[in-house]
Amino acid sequence: MTTPILTLSLFELCVAMIGALATSLCALTYFRRVRIERPAIGTFNGRDIGILFVFLVTLPTLYLLLPRWALTGFLALTFLASLSIGFRPLFSPGPLWLGIGVLLGANIWIARTMLGTVAGWQLFWAENSVVVLLGAVAVANLYVQGGMKLRHVAWFALLLAGYDLAFTAVVPVTNDLAQEFLGFPLDPSMGMRMGFDNASIGLGDLLVYALFTVAAYKAYGRVGASTALGLVAVFGAALPALAPLLINFVDARTDVLVPAQTWFGPAAFLGYRWLRHRYGRERTTQEFLATLAPQQMPAAVPAHVVAAPAPQPAPLEPTVSR
Amino acid sequence: MFETGIRQLRMAFGMAWGYRVNPRNVERLVEDALATLAEFGEPGADVGQLTEGPLSDPEARRHFAATGMRRTARRLAARSPFYARRFAAADVHPDRLDPADLASIPVTIKRDLIREPRAFLCPDAPPHLATRTTGTTGRPAEIWMSRYEMSLWPALGALGGVLRDDLRPDDVMQVNISSRATAAVHLDVAGCRLVGVGCRVIGMIPPDEALDALADTDGGATLLSTSPSYLGELETAARRRGLGPADFRLRRIDVGGEILSPSLAAAARETFGVPRVADSFGMTEVLPVSGRTCSQGHLHHDINLGLVEYLDLDTGAPAAPGALATVVITPFYPYRDCMPVFRYDTRDMVRRLPDDDLTCEVSGLPATGPILGKADHLLRTGPGRAVTPRELIEAVESLPTRPWPARFRATAEDGRVRLTVPEAAIDGFGHAAALRHFAERGLDVDLSLVPDEEAAALRPLRCDLRETTFVARPALIGA
Repeated sequence: MTTPILTLSLFELCVAMIGALATSLCALTYFRRVRIERPAIGTFNGRDIGILFVFLVTLPTLYLLLPRWALTGFLALTFLASLSIGFRPLFSPGPLWLGIGVLLGANIWIARTMLGTVAGWQLFWAENSVVVLLGAVAVANLYVQGGMKLRHVAWFALLLAGYDLAFTAVVPVTNDLAQEFLGFPLDPSMGMRMGFDNASIGLGDLLVYALFTVAAYKAYGRVGASTALGLVAVFGAALPALAPLLINFVDARTDVLVPAQTWFGPAAFLGYRWLRHRYGRERTTQEFLATLAPQQMPAAVPAHVVAAPAPQPAPLEPTVSR
Repeated sequence: MFETGIRQLRMAFGMAWGYRVNPRNVERLVEDALATLAEFGEPGADVGQLTEGPLSDPEARRHFAATGMRRTARRLAARSPFYARRFAAADVHPDRLDPADLASIPVTIKRDLIREPRAFLCPDAPPHLATRTTGTTGRPAEIWMSRYEMSLWPALGALGGVLRDDLRPDDVMQVNISSRATAAVHLDVAGCRLVGVGCRVIGMIPPDEALDALADTDGGATLLSTSPSYLGELETAARRRGLGPADFRLRRIDVGGEILSPSLAAAARETFGVPRVADSFGMTEVLPVSGRTCSQGHLHHDINLGLVEYLDLDTGAPAAPGALATVVITPFYPYRDCMPVFRYDTRDMVRRLPDDDLTCEVSGLPATGPILGKADHLLRTGPGRAVTPRELIEAVESLPTRPWPARFRATAEDGRVRLTVPEAAIDGFGHAAALRHFAERGLDVDLSLVPDEEAAALRPLRCDLRETTFVARPALIGA
């Protein structure tokens, strides 16, 4: 028995809306309260976005080529790194590593032992969603606190719009990936199960929503954040979830896969252009921090981020010859 | 962010493995540092690792020094005719060279450089720019530098300058050092270019003209690079003209190459309205190794670019804390490649400080007291008793007559210091009061006077390397 498309769409709407807004709001809260230590030199620029995009384009191919054990190991390493960097300012090393170990260990254990029932699936999705949400919050803050601007996020989302459409409609890499991850540990998506149906939203989409919201808040304050959250809710969650009511996205396996960035990317870019037109150039991190009242200033907690080996420059001295 | 990390890695690998550092890579890091400051207003928290180096651990420091020294010795044995000969004579094998064996290699002195300069040139690093020492301490030596060195050093300096907030893109630097000091001028100009700082090289022109440029509150300099003696002339001229902090935009004064006395530094701070006069150590022969004075007055040599030894003046062995020592420097390859020196004895005297007692902002680096003067100018007034040039300069420059820059001649006679100063130095203060002034500073002085017009002949100063202009004729300032 197949579930009616309307029911499926409403289910997907709930999952996508909760996932997108929860991730964006958590990332925003983190941004307002926690400071990740950044390296001595370095801020995001346009070329970094290019590097990030190339990485993102090649990563799915890698995922599909890797054997299952290697893929799980790779995902575990990715989550381990993002969670440890993102939450080191909040927890001392003991509780931090214990917490990460429990989260990832439980995920692998549930995925291997409890997916025979709907309740097992629901437990897996709930636990997996927490891991993915925390990972997205950490990485979004790492990038925005590292100097990523709203302009960068907007261009990134626009590039992803094309990418998402191409790799869903033309080359079905996204479809293969969704199938590859489903039911295995550390699925990089937030989701839930209802009866026989799973609804999920990918980590990449959630990361872009969180980046856009946090960068908009840094750039334009409350008005920026409100605009971003509105765009995320409408173009990142609602429209992709409800699109199957109008457009046939059913693939050969009867899965419904909607390229969410294709909806969100152009809207995010136009939203950025409107904010820029309406409120002028975006604020730098320095200018943003200057607007915070002293009690709002996030504590600068050492994150012990692994830094690149340090060069050792000489001071510029008036080297007067003797 | 990502590409900055890759650049830092490239630079760090080059340094760790002894490859040539790509100057363009360092220049791009300067751009990255400027972008970082534009976005965040300050560098990240671990900036100390970049500006001071990661060598606060003594064991890491020893390992780094031994590796750098062996790498440098290996290259010199293969490329430098002078050192190939010297190492062979000392039966030194660079691969097995241990810091403890360094004493077997005689120090290089200025006379070596003057006697056979070509023997120091390495054929794989074509000479590009020659610079001469000024000769204030004897016959000048000529040092050649390669294009690589003249690209790398300003890039390294600019990176450090930006990260320490010594250089900002909206700064204007006025350079009042001898225009013939080509390396020093080039470093200032190229460093400013990389950061986007305005640079006004006007040389050692008459102080009033330099002051006119400084006192332009619209486009006047925010940074001044000069020598202590010329600063003394500027200070004297500014006081004569009644100029004060409101007449200048300066935020920093850098001096080097001579001894800066506390009294002149305090006066300059007051007149020019700067929080501190940065007294740095720089010497053409041992570039790019330099030294900075911290807020507590210690001199910290840069041990990331070279090996710095403090050798006891009497024994030549490593000096104990508190003992008078001469500073011996070996710039490491790959930072110096055209005309490198190994164990160059600068003859600059310092007193070493115990490492554990340091509490200053650069306590990770070893420190000495300030430069006390050239070892050859030390006056031995008796067994175990000696008077350093710094003691004399500080004593003369703290006279109430404000005789800046200090001009004097000093010799040791019968256990006393025979000090000759121009008449203006004690004018209105009195001979007896002057003797008491020196005695209060522990100097048993036999004081004699010369007419003011003979003052310049008493002691050569950098400010005497005067460059004339058509605006004003040179005039002697100071007493």
